[in-house]
Amino acid sequence: MKRGMNESMTDFASEKSTLKRFFKRDFSQVIVFAIPMMFLAIFLLYPMASTLVRAFMAPAEDLAFHGFSLESFRQFLTSNLYKKSLLNSFIVSIAVTFFCILIGVPMGYCVARVKMPGKRLILSLGILPIIMPSFVGAFTWVILLGRNGIVRHFFNLLHIELPSIYGMFGMILCMTLTYYPFVFQLSYGAFASANSLLEESAALMGASRGRIMRTITFPLILPSLGAAALLVFVRAIGNFGIPAIIGGNNYVLPTLIYFEVNGFWNINGASSIAVVNVAITAFVLWLQKWMVSRHEYETISATHTEIKQHEGKGAVIISSVYCAIILIVSLLPQITIIVMSFFEKWTGLFPEGFTLSNYTRIPEYSSHELFNSFYLSILATLLCALLGSIVAYITERKKPKGAALLDLSIMAPFILPGTVVSIALLSAFSGSSFLRLTGTYTIIVISYMIRRTPYVYRSVAASLTQLNPSLEEASTIMGATWFHTFRKVSVPLILPAIVSGSILTLTTLLQELSTTILLYSGRTRTVPIQIYGAVQDGKLGQASALSVVLLVVVFIIVFMMNHRKGKGDFSSSFKM
Amino acid sequence: MSKSVTYEKINKIYDEKGKNPVHALKDVSFTIEPGELFCLLGPSGCGKTTLLRATAGLESISSGKMYYGDVDISTIPPYRRNIGMVFQSFALYPHMTIFENVAYGLRVRKVDNATVKKKVTEVMELVGLQEELKRNPSPTGLSGGQQQRVAIARALVYDPDVLLLDEPLANLDAKLRRYMRAEIRRIQKATNVTTIFVTHDQEEAMAVGDRLAVLRKGVVEQIGTSDDLYSYPENAFVANFIGKMNFFESSVTEVGEDRITVRPDSTDILISIPLERCHVNPSRGDKVLLGGRPEQLSVSKNPAPDSVRGKVRIIQHLGSFIRYEVEMDERISPVTFEIDMDFLDKDIREADDVYVSMKKEKMSLFSPDGREI
Repeated sequence: MKRGMNESMTDFASEKSTLKRFFKRDFSQVIVFAIPMMFLAIFLLYPMASTLVRAFMAPAEDLAFHGFSLESFRQFLTSNLYKKSLLNSFIVSIAVTFFCILIGVPMGYCVARVKMPGKRLILSLGILPIIMPSFVGAFTWVILLGRNGIVRHFFNLLHIELPSIYGMFGMILCMTLTYYPFVFQLSYGAFASANSLLEESAALMGASRGRIMRTITFPLILPSLGAAALLVFVRAIGNFGIPAIIGGNNYVLPTLIYFEVNGFWNINGASSIAVVNVAITAFVLWLQKWMVSRHEYETISATHTEIKQHEGKGAVIISSVYCAIILIVSLLPQITIIVMSFFEKWTGLFPEGFTLSNYTRIPEYSSHELFNSFYLSILATLLCALLGSIVAYITERKKPKGAALLDLSIMAPFILPGTVVSIALLSAFSGSSFLRLTGTYTIIVISYMIRRTPYVYRSVAASLTQLNPSLEEASTIMGATWFHTFRKVSVPLILPAIVSGSILTLTTLLQELSTTILLYSGRTRTVPIQIYGAVQDGKLGQASALSVVLLVVVFIIVFMMNHRKGKGDFSSSFKM
Repeated sequence: MSKSVTYEKINKIYDEKGKNPVHALKDVSFTIEPGELFCLLGPSGCGKTTLLRATAGLESISSGKMYYGDVDISTIPPYRRNIGMVFQSFALYPHMTIFENVAYGLRVRKVDNATVKKKVTEVMELVGLQEELKRNPSPTGLSGGQQQRVAIARALVYDPDVLLLDEPLANLDAKLRRYMRAEIRRIQKATNVTTIFVTHDQEEAMAVGDRLAVLRKGVVEQIGTSDDLYSYPENAFVANFIGKMNFFESSVTEVGEDRITVRPDSTDILISIPLERCHVNPSRGDKVLLGGRPEQLSVSKNPAPDSVRGKVRIIQHLGSFIRYEVEMDERISPVTFEIDMDFLDKDIREADDVYVSMKKEKMSLFSPDGREI
């Protein structure tokens, strides 16, 4: 009995000391980590779950966990509109991916492996089409190739009939010219950074140029190519702006979602379309990962030997002309909107009615929209930077048990089309929801954060993997608490990655259309929404002037970023 | 100031509840004296780095206790242990000047500016970088040896109780490595901080350490001075890890009062070893290893009494001595012998048959168990 008491005494003592130790522990870490986790749970996981539940509910019912129904999905079998949209989505995304590779890979090879002038210029101009809002590209192609478009006029003079820009041809053309830079930039990187010793040793062993290309060079760039193709496919299948402007009657899944919500407020129906859309994207993502995992190599080498470049005159001329043509065609929209913004209309070969009023009237008709755009984008970018860096730090440094799950959930929005994110937020936070956010600034900021945090997250995670953990351990050893180390060592070292991720976030948010269009109210209208409206109303001059303003702002930001000392790298933010 | 470090039955098991638990440290117990420069030595994967990181608190231990002086620090987080550590990669901060790098630990301790300046200047003088401190560049602009000195200065500036060095010379080239190990010893003796130095290079460990611990598969095999370990290795593993030891597979023929007599396999030579050189306690007929260091064996073209036949594979001129690699009968040794002679025998060429003799009074006896690295 006495022994029993002794035991319980020691039990009590040890309990007390554990309690004491508990309070002595450094809790700053837990607090810093808990807030982003809560954000992700409420605004990412809950909306996604609720979208999934709604997808299996009959139309026009409130969110509830009874009344399971496949009615919304049945539409894909019965409704012609649904069937056609699904088919269109497939055709457009596959065709766009195919053409982007067809155009982008040779261009990447030329710039990386042919000794030609103006490479830096080609690389900087080559990134412009992604920087410009895609729907702006679409409406300028209307100016160029529409019923009264100048290019069409020109070809008519030659008695050549071009297909209509409204429809499949137009969508594929616009998206290809918008997204080929991904393939171009990534394949350029792969061709340029490949280990030259590998090719040289093949040559020494007696392989011909063609054989080297087929057996060494191409297999080594395959993973980069796979990543680029996936990037293009995901964007093409999620693009809303281009089909909304020139799709005409050819609906695709994102415009169908808009149609269901805007026309009928059928959130449950829209949810099921969203689920189908995401399922396709997820399948393609899995397919790409599966193929790449079977062909994975280390393509970046430590050697600094320069890769030998083709110097023949013929090769230089052909590749210069090729690159020039692609660049001119893909930059036509930019040139067109700049010209258009100074005129009243442009229906023949030449624009008519020179005017500055498109610009002088901006303060009057869109000062509120400009404020909204900047306010929402900057606020969301700052929050993205905070959220993305902390979550990246957690997954990379703390490697918690659920790290893979955390990585998956924060990267998921990367493959979600903007309209799907909006639907998820609408399904969770509208109507009788516990937290009603429809029509507020908050819901737009949240949607922006959900969509764009992956940029900062990936950029910071990539920089953390390259950072030796002993830098942080050294600080701990020298007596610094976790928070001191985080502030004085970790954050300064990953700052370049945070900045480059944030800049990418800011520039894409300023032109964000697909998410905003389902969430905005009169009070929270942004510039891209206004441009979209102006195009629908046929006010091309006004739309062009506003687009030029956006373009100039975005261009200045990117330009400053590229000229910053120790410039960051976009490529890691693009990767999945 | 300087404190002793004591380990009491330290165990570390990675992935304890998982499928493949790895027992990285097994019942490690020993004491490092105050002011001592102590080397942890062993092949890769022996647990030496784990033990060092556990001493720092960067790695938790599964059971056992650690003391600095007589304070139990087993559960104290690393940032409250007052230790200094030099990492293999140096871990200098590229976003700070070398002054701020060195001052970091003092800033954390909220030392006033005047003292920071004084202490940083002092420690930089100690490591011989006063000129660089005046220019005060970013550490990325320094050479490897200078970065190493900054890393040492940074770990010493706040007078730690214990200094930990994790393979600090591994990133330097061979010449600088030899120079820096003498420097490390000079700096350690000047400050008299208890220091633990981890390395896999036995030559480095013998040159630097006051005492060495040889680890193998998480177990401490032997602790002692360089001379103890070289002259009196306790088992075949230590004997062959600290320097080289050639082993004759042998059988015990007689266990006497003060000597054990053995016969190398496949020969009829009898060799008796005094008990103090026997690190094994065999009975008649047991298998044992008869060990001789390269300089305790010799080769000759002609048979000598009690010599064993072999075939010369390679002859290397290594400056002050000549190394003969001799292939022995499979039954005596599956690996070639290394035999060092202080003169070149002109009659012996590669691929010649030779006779190996031993200095019998220097030979030792070991158990054949656990000699592999």
